[in-house]
Formats: sequence, C-alpha cells, structure tokens
Amino acid sequence: MAREVISTGNELCAKAAIEGGAKFFGGYPLTPSSEVMHVSSDLLPKVGGVAIQMEDEIAGISAALGSSMTGVKSFTATSGPGISLKAEQIGLGFIAEIPLVIVNVMRGGPSTGLPTRVSQADIGQAQYPTHGDYASITLCAGSLSECYTETVRAFNLAEKYMTPVFMLLDETIGHMHGKAILPDLEEIEASIVTREKFEGSPENYKPYDVPMNKPAVLNPMFQGYKYHVTGLHHGVEGFPTEDAEQCEFNIERLVGKINTVAAENDGLDDLPDYEEYMLDDADICIIAYGSIGLGAYEAVQKLRSEGIKAGLFRPIMLWPSPAKRIAEIGAKFENRIMVTELNMGQYSKEIERVIKRNDFATLLKANGRPIAPAEMVAKVKEMM
Amino acid sequence: MAFNYDKYLRVNKMPTLWCWGCGDGVILKATIRAIEKMGWDMQNVCVVSGIGCSGRFSSYIDCNTVHTTHGRTVAYATGIKLANPHVNVIVVAGDGDGLAIGGNHTIHGCRRNIDLNFILINNFIYGLTNSQTSPTTPRGFWTVSQKNGNIDPTFNACNLAIGAGASFVARETMIEPKKLEKVLVKAFSHKGFSFIEVNSNCHINLGRKNKMASAMENLDWINSITMPLKKWEALEDPIEKENLLPTGVLREVEQEEYCEMYAEIQKAAQGERGKITQADFEKKI
Amino acid sequence: MGTFKTENPGNQPVWVNTSNCKACDICVSVCPSGVLGMVYEKTSTLGAMISIDHPEACIGCMECELSCPDFAIYVADRKELKAAGKSFAKLTDDSKARQAAIVANNYMSLEEEGAK
Repeated sequence: MAREVISTGNELCAKAAIEGGAKFFGGYPLTPSSEVMHVSSDLLPKVGGVAIQMEDEIAGISAALGSSMTGVKSFTATSGPGISLKAEQIGLGFIAEIPLVIVNVMRGGPSTGLPTRVSQADIGQAQYPTHGDYASITLCAGSLSECYTETVRAFNLAEKYMTPVFMLLDETIGHMHGKAILPDLEEIEASIVTREKFEGSPENYKPYDVPMNKPAVLNPMFQGYKYHVTGLHHGVEGFPTEDAEQCEFNIERLVGKINTVAAENDGLDDLPDYEEYMLDDADICIIAYGSIGLGAYEAVQKLRSEGIKAGLFRPIMLWPSPAKRIAEIGAKFENRIMVTELNMGQYSKEIERVIKRNDFATLLKANGRPIAPAEMVAKVKEMM
Repeated sequence: MAFNYDKYLRVNKMPTLWCWGCGDGVILKATIRAIEKMGWDMQNVCVVSGIGCSGRFSSYIDCNTVHTTHGRTVAYATGIKLANPHVNVIVVAGDGDGLAIGGNHTIHGCRRNIDLNFILINNFIYGLTNSQTSPTTPRGFWTVSQKNGNIDPTFNACNLAIGAGASFVARETMIEPKKLEKVLVKAFSHKGFSFIEVNSNCHINLGRKNKMASAMENLDWINSITMPLKKWEALEDPIEKENLLPTGVLREVEQEEYCEMYAEIQKAAQGERGKITQADFEKKI
Repeated sequence: MGTFKTENPGNQPVWVNTSNCKACDICVSVCPSGVLGMVYEKTSTLGAMISIDHPEACIGCMECELSCPDFAIYVADRKELKAAGKSFAKLTDDSKARQAAIVANNYMSLEEEGAK
C-alpha cells in the first residue's frame, strides 16, 4: 500500500532522508532550501538524530562530513551560493570517500542572483563542484514523489559508492505543495543500503586498499578500527603520500568507481535513470528534467492533440548521464530533438557530447521564470 | 621503562616531519601524557587537525584521526562529537588555522560550549608555508607577506575565546611541559568547550628573520612575552600588562554543555520528558 | 623508521634514541644538573647528537624527556631504578656549575673539542 501525502518538495526531501536512515543534518539557512533544515530539526530528534544549524555554509557541510566519517548517515541542504561555499569540503568528501547527501534547491545565479526564483543553472556545478578530478553522482527530482524516492536513492548511492551525492531540486519543485504518492515505509526500509564494513582483524585493516573502480571500505569510527582520514592524497592505509603511482591510481579509481561502473552496468543501481513519456511512436523528442519536465508532459499532450507526435525524455540521474539511452535517442531523432532547461544550455552540452551532433533545438531560459508548456509547443512547431 | 609512548603513537611514522626543536612535538607528548592520566581508551578518542604544521598532529597519534581542510577543524569536530557524544574529541589547530581562516568556527565552538578540547598551537606565524603574517604575528616582525614589517594588530586568542563564551580557557607555553600537561588534564576533565592556547616556537620561519634563529632563542623570546597569571595580575603598569600574555587557567566555569542540552531536546521530541520550557533554560544558564 | 626504545637499556637513569634525535639542544638547555651535552656527529640531521656525559648526576626531574619534541630521550622510572639498587642523584653546586658551563659553551659537551 502506497502512502498518499500532501506536502512540499523540500519537506518530502527531509522526510525521505530521515526515513532513508539519515541521523545527522548540518546546515545553514539558504533560500529556497531552508525548509529541508526546518523539517529535519523537527523530525531528527524524534528518531534520536541530530540537526544542527551551524555558523555558516562551510561549517554546515563540515559537521555533516565529520558525522558521516564516524559512520552516521548525514546530509546537508543548501542552494547554489551555499554549494559554492561548501566546494572545498565537497572535495574532501570525494578524495577521502565520505558518503554524504548534498541537497541543492536551485535558484537563479550567479552570486546572490535570484534567491526566490527558479533555476536549473547549478547542474554544471553539481558535475564539477570543486577543484581536482573526480566523478559526481547527481540526481534530479522531477515530481513531488521523486523528491522523496530520489532522496532515499541518493543516500543509498552515497553509501554504496562512498562519495558525496547531489540531490537536486529546483525552487519550483522544492516549494511546490501538493499530493505525493510515496512507497510504503517497509519498502523503503528494505531498500536501505549501508556502507560496507571490514570484519577482519584491526591489524589487517587498510581502508583504502581496494582494487580499481571499487570504493574505499571505511568502517564506522569508535568500533575497534582506528584509522586516519585525510584530504591529502593517501596510500592504502589512509596516510598522506605523494607517490606518483599511488596518486594516479587514486584519481583513476575515484573517477572509475562511478563513471566506468555506470557505463559498464548501464547505471549505478537498478532504479530508472530516466523516464520516457509517449516516446515510442514519437516523431519529435523533448528533453527536459526537474520542474520543467512537469510542463513538458503537458506540452506533449497538447502537441499530440494537435496531431504532432511528440514524446518526452526526462533524465533523473543527470550525472553520470544515461548516455547509452541518450545516444539511442540521438540516433532515432535526427533534427527532431528539443532540449529545454532553465539555464543557458548546461545539459544541452551533455546531449551534444553524447550524440556527437548539434542538430537539436534548445529552449532555454535564465531569468528566474519557468518555461510554460505553450512556449514548448511553439518551439516544437517552429521546428516542424 | 619510561613512559610507554608506543601505546599512543603510530611508531612507524617516526621521526616526525617537524623541524628540529619544534614545539609541536612537545605538545604532542604533553597531550599523550594527559590522555594517559585521563585513562581514556584510544578507541574512543578522536583527534581532528587542520592544515599547517599542526595538521600532522593527527597522523602521529594512534586513535581515530581526521586531517581536515584549512580552518574547519572545529566544525568537523562538532559533527563528530554531536553524532557520538560519548567519545573524547581533541581538536588541534595553528594560529592561522584557528584564528584566521577558521576564526568563525572557533568563536562559534566557544559559544556553543560543545565538549571539545581545542588546542590552539600559536607559533605566531604561518610556518609551513614559509613565514606569512598570522593573526598573532607581533607588530614589527618581518614576514614574507609584509616584507617591511607587520603592521597588523594581533589577536589575543584567549581573550577572544573568553569573549565568545568558552567555559574553559587557558594559556600555556611549550617551554613548561609539566604545566602544560597539568592544564591539558584539567581541560580534558572539563565538560564543555576547552580552549587551550599553547605558545610555541618556529625558529625556522619566524625566528630566522626575526633574530632568533635557534629553538633556544625563540623559546627565550616566548618566555619574555609570557608571565604566570598571578604575577601578571599583580602588575600595575597597564601597558606592561597589555604587552604580556598571562599563562595558566584564565577561565573555568560550569556551563550547560551542548550535547547534553541536545539530549534533552531528543528526550522532549521522543516524549520521554515534558516540553522544554523557558524555566529549563533559566535554571541551567 | 624509529622505535621508541622506552625499555631501559640497563638500569640507566637517562637514555637516548639516537634515530629520533634531531639535535635541537632543548634537552641540554633544560637539564639543571649538567648531565647532557651535544657532540659532533656528521651523520645526524644537524651534525650533532646528544651525549650523556654525567649520568651519575641525573636527578630524575624529567625535564629533558618532557621537553624533547622528538621522543628521543627518556628518564628512568624512579621505582624501577630503586628496585635495581640505583637511585637518582641530588642536585649539587658542582652539577649546577657544570650546567652553566655547558650552556655557556653553546650546549656543547665540555669534553668535545671546538665550539659549535
């Protein structure tokens, strides 16, 4: 029996985090993400967890990373300016392989930008949030229900791949208030992934002694396995090293454990990385994600009612992108793809990279306003 | 048999990367001896360090250790402690780490009065990166970033911690390791945020350009700018008082600790006690 | 790779782990009793090494061990030393004078030729 709730995207995100096993939230208020903290501060103590409002964005993620290092599932929530401030700590999460869910409810940028208005211009930032080489996992909710389900998934991916995971909402979805259908709590609990643990003798424990493309095995602290965590390049035992061979292996492994694994297994888990709507018999394909995806459903229906066979491809896992499927779509729809997003073409570039052509139309907006279905319809008609 | 340092150190990391005569090693030793006095189980000790020479502290001590980014030690430690209130957390940071880039976290750690033991190793310079001015570099000193002499006024770190609300504040120097060890034991025993400033030397990157190129000369200088609290209090000349740093325990008060308060919040949220009322705060603060 | 050698190498009041010593002079400077001095040692970091010239004068005050940044010098446990039929010395005027001379000699052992 699924659950039906009336809620907002931000609230559902916090609820999912806690039902998905999170016991620690560290953050700082930032519009339009603050409700994630508000709800966490109410719900976490009820389950024996902790929510703390820190002195700044950097401290928020630092506390969450500190907590996660000890084995406690942790998360933080913010918006673009906050991600910019957290950037260096996100890097520590990547190199030290600390699982963490980073919720970004996207608003207009750059800088203070448009604090209360919608944008999808942080998806490039989610792919490369900090200096150095690494691969990022980024999920993007396209409905209220997905604010819940994809947040649970983000925690599971973080634990499975020992890495920070971005959970993107945009302001529209985050503040949208409506009905959501959520899976049963038992179903969620059964799906929970917890990081792998080394069970052997502490003398033989080497947290980073793992083969290529495998995540580190970081045991919870204070349970008999003492080790060192550092933001420096480190050897298999976790202690700093500058050994060229080791550093190269580290970087190849950090990238490979996500990108290579996703390419080889067609995704990072068994859940759908995208959704398709009326695409099978379509002549034209709209590509949209997040709240813009919601408008795109309506545009497809409108176009169909006018005799134009449109369909929708909506990526959910933005990074690593569902490249195999995008390539198939690229092959099928020559000159018949329309990518629409609330930025100056950040995901369009990924489409271009994957299909190796730029014969698609784009409908882009970066003024803090959503893209109406009518605009999409008009754009598609232009293409015909 | 001497004191068993093997029990507390990662023996295969010795000798340390620190320069000859560096106070960091003395402070590491005093910390270990204080831990022994406390009888702490190293499985339940976490040492968090930042960036700088003091950042290496965490790789030498054999417990759960975290080497974080520049300045963020207190924030990481806050997460570690809050998620695991039963463990003992020691934070080690330098003057640049804890007072410049991480100043905000330091003052808010003090304000929250969370049960962290914050050892601020003050060597008056950015030593690791070759002598840039730190918030405690005395005026007139030569640094590579102020080649005509430092004009920046200095922080009095302990006054800052007192002002920010730390419930235990002390200053010691690495010249007197016995006193340092005693103060560390007091700090570790204290419930709440313990701020311990330890004045240390950097004869290499502070000393060489400021006429104290050996460890001994640098230590003599530290000796000349510090004075035991009682003696300092008896000074009459206010200018002399301002120019000298008092050593000893400067503040020790009992104050509600953050993790304990949060435990009450959890109890209230879980219905194990009544709602938290204004009266709760009145009786405890 | 150093080891601590915290084991007493034979009922000594004070002993040194030369593989950890970086020759910073601090132990020599803090000794009240003129026990220690530096000697030339070209294979060491700063070309010098601690020498325990007067172990019989060691008063067991621990200052050298506690002030050593590199875990290189150790002082015996008072009880253990006693059990072995030995004990620490008392601080004498002679030892104080010797210590003053060592400090004046720039922490070099009085038995070492040439100044530092």
